[in-house]
Amino acid sequence: MTDLAIDVVQQLLNGFLFGSSYALIGIGFTMIFGVMDKLNLAFAVTGLAGAYTGLLLFHLTRGPFILVFLMAVAAAGLIGLVIELACFRWMPRDYPLAPLMATMGMLFFVDEVVSHATHGRPMAFPAPMGQVMMDVGPWLVRGDLGFMFLVSLAVMGALWALVYKTRLGLATRAVSQQPVAAQLCGIGLTRVNAAVFIITGMVGGVAGTLIGSAVGNLSPLLSLPLTVKGLVTAVLGGLGSIPGAIVAGLLLGIVEYEALYFFGIGYRDMVTYLLLFAFLVFRPGGLFGQRVGR
Amino acid sequence: MEFYFALATLFGFRILLGLSAYVVILTGQISMAQAGFYALGAYTAGAATALWGWPIVPAVLLGAIVGAVFGFLVGFPALRVRGLFLVIATLAFTEIVRMVFLNLKYTIRVGDRTIGPAAAEGFRGITYYFENGWSSLQIAGFTWLFVLAVLLAFWLMDRSRAGVVLRAVGEDELAASSVGINLTAAKVSAMTLGGLVAGLAGALYAHYATYLSQEEFGVLLASFAVAYPLIGGTGSVLGPIAGVLFFSLLIDGLRFLGDWRNLLFGVLIVAMMNVRPHGIIDVRLVRRLAALLRPAPKRAYAGD
Repeated sequence: MTDLAIDVVQQLLNGFLFGSSYALIGIGFTMIFGVMDKLNLAFAVTGLAGAYTGLLLFHLTRGPFILVFLMAVAAAGLIGLVIELACFRWMPRDYPLAPLMATMGMLFFVDEVVSHATHGRPMAFPAPMGQVMMDVGPWLVRGDLGFMFLVSLAVMGALWALVYKTRLGLATRAVSQQPVAAQLCGIGLTRVNAAVFIITGMVGGVAGTLIGSAVGNLSPLLSLPLTVKGLVTAVLGGLGSIPGAIVAGLLLGIVEYEALYFFGIGYRDMVTYLLLFAFLVFRPGGLFGQRVGR
Repeated sequence: MEFYFALATLFGFRILLGLSAYVVILTGQISMAQAGFYALGAYTAGAATALWGWPIVPAVLLGAIVGAVFGFLVGFPALRVRGLFLVIATLAFTEIVRMVFLNLKYTIRVGDRTIGPAAAEGFRGITYYFENGWSSLQIAGFTWLFVLAVLLAFWLMDRSRAGVVLRAVGEDELAASSVGINLTAAKVSAMTLGGLVAGLAGALYAHYATYLSQEEFGVLLASFAVAYPLIGGTGSVLGPIAGVLFFSLLIDGLRFLGDWRNLLFGVLIVAMMNVRPHGIIDVRLVRRLAALLRPAPKRAYAGD
């Protein structure tokens, strides 16, 4: 096999594994949109802030990675709930622009809290896998990326079970299809919305921790790119579709790594956006979207 | 005094940017492309005076026209997507524009200086004001000439049929199209107009700043562009101005808080949206004020 082919497949592999973090962030955006028909711009920063909280615990206790992980997930769930209270609960239902703007304010706020607490410097994040590498034929699988992929897979499985196998999941799906009818059936809208924000916040916390451990550090500079990448993923997959977000996240990871290999860092994001633009023009519903152009 | 002139000039750019997003929001859409149009206007007008030796007025108008052309071009694909999809599509446009300027290299040597967009190093040497010895009062006056012209034009538009058409599309597309409003025409013209004003703002900004770097024209600028009318309200052209004042007074007025200022900034946006979800000057406030100004007997005929 030629070197080029080996490199291309290597990038494909890295992109596929790293894409799982985009998938997790995309899922968060897509779930909130699916249930409330509204966008939560502060979602990616929720995950990041959760990861920072985990990091804080690590610096205080030097505890094992699992503790950092749990702390991050719990904190992100809590921040998710705060966002629901501050930006969604008392907003007019029929005017989506107000919560959009409010979550933008929340994005600034959480971002600033993080910058303020860390003096804006990137901070090293514990890597559970260290520098482990696995050989698969002529290719290398980075341990942290493989770990990221496996954990993402587990989270996706748990989410699937939650949405399709539990009463809460049933209620969530009911609210996302017909909020009024769901209320008539005795489903508490506020309770379901709060639950969705806590759950998506926790998913964000997982994503933040995984990205932190794969990149090796956390920086407040990550918040805007992660927000944009998450939104791109959610739209590519079709807003409201969880399987769509997963496929789109993996696809986005692959496209990014291949573009990085072929065109260099200056053009990497441009390829991503052109792909997005093409999708929106020719297939506005996304990969798995049922509702065209909402 | 210098300080206040500079402040007035900066307010001018922000108001123009807010107005460019305002006209698109009237049709019920959120466009994050305004930062892209702003960047295109800035680079074009900057190139016109610094590289091609144009006078300032045609250069600024060229910047506005380039903004309008791109507004028109973005407006068409935008017809296929709405709402949140449009937010993302236009965000992609802004980012693509930024990437183009990150990679664009087009420089000339003037004496011992390099002028023009030099990829990641930014665009240096847009020194028209400096070369022609303009004072900061002149710069502020020149900027506000355009701001007032756009404000007047938008105010008149709001009171004309065109404004009603845009608002009708924003309220309910189905109802608007069923009374014979051409949705395509309304949305594309709003986008073109938005592009024109944003391009104009960018063109003026380029000459004030003298140096452009693609980093300034990203998601943050696009967010501020839509934040001005959303916070200020879309009830009248005064809305974006109220938004600019809200943000600018917060940024400069809270300076005594030091580092904590930026923390409060986000909190105040959240609080503001909870108190006035439709913005400071919303449609209801404008109607109430209009009713106050109108002669009293008219209200008796209104029935309910």
